[in-house]
Amino acid sequence: MSIEIVIPSYLQPYTDNRDTVEVKGNTIGECFDSLIEQHPGIEKMLFDKNGRLHSYVGTYINKEDAYPDALTKKARDGDEVHVIYIIGGG
Amino acid sequence: MLNEYERERYDRQIIMRGFGEEGQEKLKRAKVVVAGGGGLGSPSSIYLAAAGVGTIRIIDHDKVELSNLNRQVLHWDKDVGSNKVDSAAEKLRQLNKEIKIEAIEETIDENNVSQLVGGFDVILDAMDNLETRYLLNRAAIEHNTPFIHGAIYGLEGRAMTVIPGETACLRCIYRGLIPKEKFPVLGVAPAVIGCIQATEAIKYIVGIGRLLTDRLLVYDGLNMKFSEFSVKRDPDCEHCGNQSA
Repeated sequence: MSIEIVIPSYLQPYTDNRDTVEVKGNTIGECFDSLIEQHPGIEKMLFDKNGRLHSYVGTYINKEDAYPDALTKKARDGDEVHVIYIIGGG
Repeated sequence: MLNEYERERYDRQIIMRGFGEEGQEKLKRAKVVVAGGGGLGSPSSIYLAAAGVGTIRIIDHDKVELSNLNRQVLHWDKDVGSNKVDSAAEKLRQLNKEIKIEAIEETIDENNVSQLVGGFDVILDAMDNLETRYLLNRAAIEHNTPFIHGAIYGLEGRAMTVIPGETACLRCIYRGLIPKEKFPVLGVAPAVIGCIQATEAIKYIVGIGRLLTDRLLVYDGLNMKFSEFSVKRDPDCEHCGNQSA
């Protein structure tokens, strides 16, 4: 099973500057585990100390909002997962 | 009714399909509040003024700083130290002498937000922080006023239009706050997003095209890519969850 996580430019320093990472998993949570296994430094950018996604991190599967319960949402072969940070500059 | 000056001034947009003199008259009657006179507020208000929006209210409490000038194109070297709203109003009045510019030097907070945006046709979010965006989003829902969100960071941007009671609001898609920081920005990023916001405001007022609703537009200037993400109303949204169309 191969799923792609699309890494936004501001998180690419944590993935050796790669803009996509292939992961394995049956859920979005497992896909993030696979991502962190390959690039441990990105964990703190996605999760808080209690293992919850930061409230400013949005998760989209095939460009659809995965909220609520994003981590337990099913992931299927060929899916594309996007991580979108809230930004506030103006 | 448009006068001869207005017919000539706006000729190139009046001849657009679906626009016409009727569309121009709608713009002339329209009142748009631009919350923020900085990176997003500059391009959006410039194009709203150029298009002939009849009343533009700009709200900002800041003074112009030298480090603003890489992106806040309404403010020039000579304006450093001046109130942003006065600097903005001066330029916009020079750009279009026929429209009304209201310069409001205030900090938007929960006590005054409703009064500041009440009675306007569109609220344009040109803020530089998320907390005030949430206040504006809630006020937009309370007043049933379209809210056009924009935000930037570096060479990235976001935009989305909210039609209260019908489409996802800012709080439906953003639930948290972000750590405060001095954000990086290249001036062209707010220029892109501010122009998208102005486009949405004009389309809404004139009644043309398809609005950027239930879609979060993500601009990646570094890779010159626009992506669209599908969003939906959250029935438990603390701002719009109880509001029906």
